Amino acid sequence: MREKLKKLGLKLPLLPTTTVGSFPKPPHLLEARRKSAAGQLDAGELHRLEEQTTREWVALQEEVGLDVLVDGEMYRGDMATYFAKNLEGFKISGLVRSYGNRYYRKPIIVGEVRWRGPITVEWWKFTQGLAKKPVKGVVTGPYTMMDWSFNEYYPSRREACLALAKALHEEVKALAKAGVKIIQIDEPAISARPEELPEFAIGAMRTVTRGVDAYFISHICYGAFEFIYPGMLELPVENFDLEMSNSELDLIELFREHLFSKDLSFGVVDVHSHIVEDAATVRQRIQRALEVLKPEQLWIDPDCGLKTRTREETVNKLKAMVGAVREVRGSLKS
Amino acid sequence: MELLAASTGSYPRIGNRPEQQRHRQAYAQLERGEISNEEFERVQNGVTREVIEEQVRAGLDVVTDGQVGWYDPISHFARKLEGCEIDGLLRFFDTNSYFRQPIVTGEIRRREPILEGEFIFAKGVSPKPVKPVVTGPYTLAKLSINRRGVGLAELVHEFARVIAQEVSELAKAGAELIQIDEPAILKNRNEFGLLKNALEEVAAGKGKAKLALYTYFGDATPLYDKLVKLPVDVVGFDFTYSPGLPKLIARLGCEKGLGLGLIDGRNTKLEGEREVIEVLKLIAPTIGSERVYLNPSCGLGEYLPREVAFKKLQNMVAIAKKAGELI
Ligand SMILES: [Zn+2]
Repeated sequence: MREKLKKLGLKLPLLPTTTVGSFPKPPHLLEARRKSAAGQLDAGELHRLEEQTTREWVALQEEVGLDVLVDGEMYRGDMATYFAKNLEGFKISGLVRSYGNRYYRKPIIVGEVRWRGPITVEWWKFTQGLAKKPVKGVVTGPYTMMDWSFNEYYPSRREACLALAKALHEEVKALAKAGVKIIQIDEPAISARPEELPEFAIGAMRTVTRGVDAYFISHICYGAFEFIYPGMLELPVENFDLEMSNSELDLIELFREHLFSKDLSFGVVDVHSHIVEDAATVRQRIQRALEVLKPEQLWIDPDCGLKTRTREETVNKLKAMVGAVREVRGSLKS
Repeated sequence: MELLAASTGSYPRIGNRPEQQRHRQAYAQLERGEISNEEFERVQNGVTREVIEEQVRAGLDVVTDGQVGWYDPISHFARKLEGCEIDGLLRFFDTNSYFRQPIVTGEIRRREPILEGEFIFAKGVSPKPVKPVVTGPYTLAKLSINRRGVGLAELVHEFARVIAQEVSELAKAGAELIQIDEPAILKNRNEFGLLKNALEEVAAGKGKAKLALYTYFGDATPLYDKLVKLPVDVVGFDFTYSPGLPKLIARLGCEKGLGLGLIDGRNTKLEGEREVIEVLKLIAPTIGSERVYLNPSCGLGEYLPREVAFKKLQNMVAIAKKAGELI
């Protein structure tokens, strides 16, 4: 897929480094979000704080030396609810239990899902305006939006998913029109019901990406990959961003049995652990990936969004990652 | 044929109103060490009382304790068993809720009764019959990590021994109907023999109680003819995953009691009276048993907000009443 990147005018080194999307929000921003939700802080002030924190994260990503940047999602809460709030056809539910004492609010589809206008485009423009390196667009995918929402309107999961795909296609088009060259479609839920992958999840992704000139990545995590591989290779994207370190790398064995035919963003640091991986661990993980993939196929990133880590853990994990990648790049050249 | 409105298991612990936040607040206080276990248990009992009252107010004929004190359907049992350690979080089937996965490291033995106390409390505060819900031995074994160096069959057998003790105590404590949940079998049909052996072991201790076997989160159609032959009195199905099931039941009939999970426990949309009654009309003539339950496809505690759970049950009761007149 190096061809496609070249055609889009993107010059990336071997083993490009990136992140999945979210960074931790600093305590003062969390507090501001709480106040804003309670009506005690005006939207303009919250927006100003979000911009300020985004600036800091862009500077940090450049300082660490990542090749493809993200906006850090300072302005998003839950990845499904954020898009639901900005599309037509949704309401937000009361509290639903996740586990232990954790509760969340879930989107409810109550009418026809429609794209009202650009959702993430302004944030992308703002971020790209601060950065020399390319910034990815990141959009939650139709299957995950469907699976993580109640559906009171469409007669089936398939129809809800396809309606979402049409709406999100508009967002993806708007991003491409604004100049975004790399677009990531997050589909963490895609392995929820493996039989639905060929039935309609692949078709939904085709609807999202069709006719849009960009390099597409799909991020999939907490997956039961053994049930959807190799079928998932049919998803019309150039790159899969998969959680690898937390799954103890058993995907490598799957790839040995059936060749991985796309580019792969390989998660090399665990986002659920406080422990910062040392460069040697990361290097070994990359080398295992290179047993089954060509260097030209491989991107390197963390397993998932980093929003649950502290700022310090985030920076140290990314430094370990970039350091290891530089060493491996050196050995690949020689 | 008598049609009863029943609960399927869990019920939401908290709701939007400030006074419905007690459980969440107490849980947080317990985690911070600000209240004692006894104080937390008092709150938990209060909430159990409240969710029973809510089910009764919705008009149910059979209620549960709402599983208010359960962390999840797996670790609630495993944490009280010798031979099990509790590991990290894992997604519970294809839902957005999580359970703590047990690691089996030694022979599985019960230290103390697990559900007896909860059942006796619930029975004491409920004006309606309380149905205790027990996670089945096959599902407990299947969702555990096996570090024993013995086969799955041995694990299922050891869990079955524990669950048989539970069932026997619940029956002695006055449970008329005991529900065994075995969702894991639907995606592992080739292991049906393990489930069968386990249920035979469990059924041996049921005394005067009736046993209900419930499956959910998967299509039960391919297993239907086998499930209805198991040594249980009632079989419960999740119709939201099994579109072909009504026709199959109409064709093959059913000599057992049925738990009709025609009410989607995972969607906020309220069921239309017509669509549910159509299915009931289709299968009613072929049902041999005298008693049939209309219930949600699964417990509601992890899948619906409290306000919606109540409306779901109310709507279900209205449908059951209407259907009772028609059939
Ligand atoms: Zn992820």
